[in-house]
Amino acid sequence: MKTPALPMIERVLLTREQIDQRLKEVAAEISAHYRNGNLKLIGVLKGSVFFLTALARELTIPVKVDFLAISHFSGEGSSTGVVRIAKDLDESIEGEDVLLVEDIVDTGFTARYLLQTLAGRGPNSIALCTMLDRTPRRIVPLQVDYCCFEIPDRFVIGCGLDFKQLYRNLDFIAVMKPDKA
Amino acid sequence: MAIVTVSGEPGCRTGEVARLAAQRLNYEHLSAARLDALLAEEFGEPGETPWPDKAWPAMAASVLVRLATQSNLVIGVDGAELLFEGFPALLRVRVVAHPNRRTGNVMLDDHLERPAARHQLKMRERDARQLRRLRFRRANPAPDSFDLVLNAGSFDGEPMAEMIEAAAHARALDSFGLLAPAAEAQRQFQLRLQLARYGMKPKGHAALKKAQFYHPSEQIFANLLDFYRIAWEYEPKSFPIAWDAEGRVLEAFTPDFYLPESDTYIELTTMKQSLVTKKNRKIRLLREIYPGVNIQVFYLKDLQDLVLKYGLSGVGN
Repeated sequence: MKTPALPMIERVLLTREQIDQRLKEVAAEISAHYRNGNLKLIGVLKGSVFFLTALARELTIPVKVDFLAISHFSGEGSSTGVVRIAKDLDESIEGEDVLLVEDIVDTGFTARYLLQTLAGRGPNSIALCTMLDRTPRRIVPLQVDYCCFEIPDRFVIGCGLDFKQLYRNLDFIAVMKPDKA
Repeated sequence: MAIVTVSGEPGCRTGEVARLAAQRLNYEHLSAARLDALLAEEFGEPGETPWPDKAWPAMAASVLVRLATQSNLVIGVDGAELLFEGFPALLRVRVVAHPNRRTGNVMLDDHLERPAARHQLKMRERDARQLRRLRFRRANPAPDSFDLVLNAGSFDGEPMAEMIEAAAHARALDSFGLLAPAAEAQRQFQLRLQLARYGMKPKGHAALKKAQFYHPSEQIFANLLDFYRIAWEYEPKSFPIAWDAEGRVLEAFTPDFYLPESDTYIELTTMKQSLVTKKNRKIRLLREIYPGVNIQVFYLKDLQDLVLKYGLSGVGN
C-alpha cells in the first residue's frame, strides 16, 4: 500500500484491510465467549471510541455500551494528585459481564486503574480487550484477554490514537516519524 | 511523633489507602513488605527458623519507635494499631467492606473468576485471623481498637485518604513533633526485656532511606507512578555484578526504582549514548547473574513518549 502523503508518517503499520480482518476474528471470539452472558462494552474516552464502535458492529450478540473518562497527569511538582474518573459510567455494572475496551495498552497504568475501579462495582465478570498491545512498554502486569495486534515500541497514530488530538480519524495505523513524535 | 496505623479486612486494598494517606500527610509510608525488610535488617533474615510470632509485636515496635524519632509514620500493617498503647499522637484506622466488594477486588488483583475469588478471599481471611491470634492472642480486632473506621464499599482509596488526613488534622497529630530520644530509650528498654525472653536483641541497624532523586526525570517518573497509585521504592537494592579473586565486590548496579506489586525494577536512562552503552553492559550482566530479577529499562525517548501521552511537558536531559 502506498504511504499516504502526511508529513509526520514514517510508514503504515496496519492497513484498514488488516484491521478489519483481525477485528472480525476478535469479535467472533468475544461473541462466542459471551453468547450466554450479559455483555457490556465500556470504552475509555476518547481513544477507544473508534475501535469500540467498529468492534460492536461485528459482534453477533446483544451488547450494551457505556463510556468513561479519566483525569490526566498534569504537573511536575512534588505532588501531582492521583488519577480520577473524570466522566463516570451512566449506569451500574453490577451483575454484568464487563469488557473494558482500550485503543492501546502499553505501560498498563490506565488499564490497571480502570480494571481495579470497575471490579469493585460488583460485575459478574470483567475482562480487557485492546486494539493494540505495546508489550515492550509494559510496567505493571496485566492480563489482556482480547488483543487485535501486538505492536513494536513505536509511537503510532490513527483509529482513535492521536498526536496532540489530531489523526484519530485515520482509518489505518501509522508510525510517526521519530523527529515528529 | 505522629503515627497513623491503617489496617483492614482482606481484599480492601488497605495498602493503597495507607500509601495515599502518607502522600497527603507527607508522612513516611511503611508497608508490610517494607516493615519485613526493616525487621530483617534489624534482627537478621529469619532463615530456616522463622521469627517467633509472639515476639513479633516487640520486634516491630522496637523498629517503629526508632523510626518515629526520624519521621512521622503511616503504617499499613495489620495489627500495628496494638503496638503503640498509650502514645498520644496516634490515629488508628480500619478499612472494611462488604464481601462482594472485596471479592471484586480479589477478582481483578488475582485474575480470578468470582467463585475462585470468593474462595481466595476466605483463605486470606482465615490466614489473617490465624496470624493475629498467634501475634496478639486474638483472631479479630476489637472495634474500640480503632479511632476511625472507613467503608471501602462507599469510598475509593483517594477519598478515604482525604478522610484520614482530615482526622489527623482534627487530632492535631502534627503538633506533637517527632518522638523524643528519651521517650524512645524508655520504650526500647521495655521492649528489650520482652525480646530477651526469645533470645533476641535489636541491633539498631534499621533506618529510613529517603528518596533523593539524582535526575529530574526520576522525579517525573515517580510523580507518574504516584498519579496512577503504583507503589514504588527508590534505589532500594544494589546488585553486585563483578568480584575480585577473593570474592570482594568490585562493581554493583543499583536500579532506580522497584515496584513491589509487580516485583519489577525500573532503570531510567537519560544520559549520553557513550554512558548508555556502559549502563547497558551492567544491565546485561545483572540479567545474566540474576536471571530471576525482572528489570525494565526506560530510555529518554520512552519517557518522552510517556510524557507526551500523559500530557506533561518539559522532560529535559
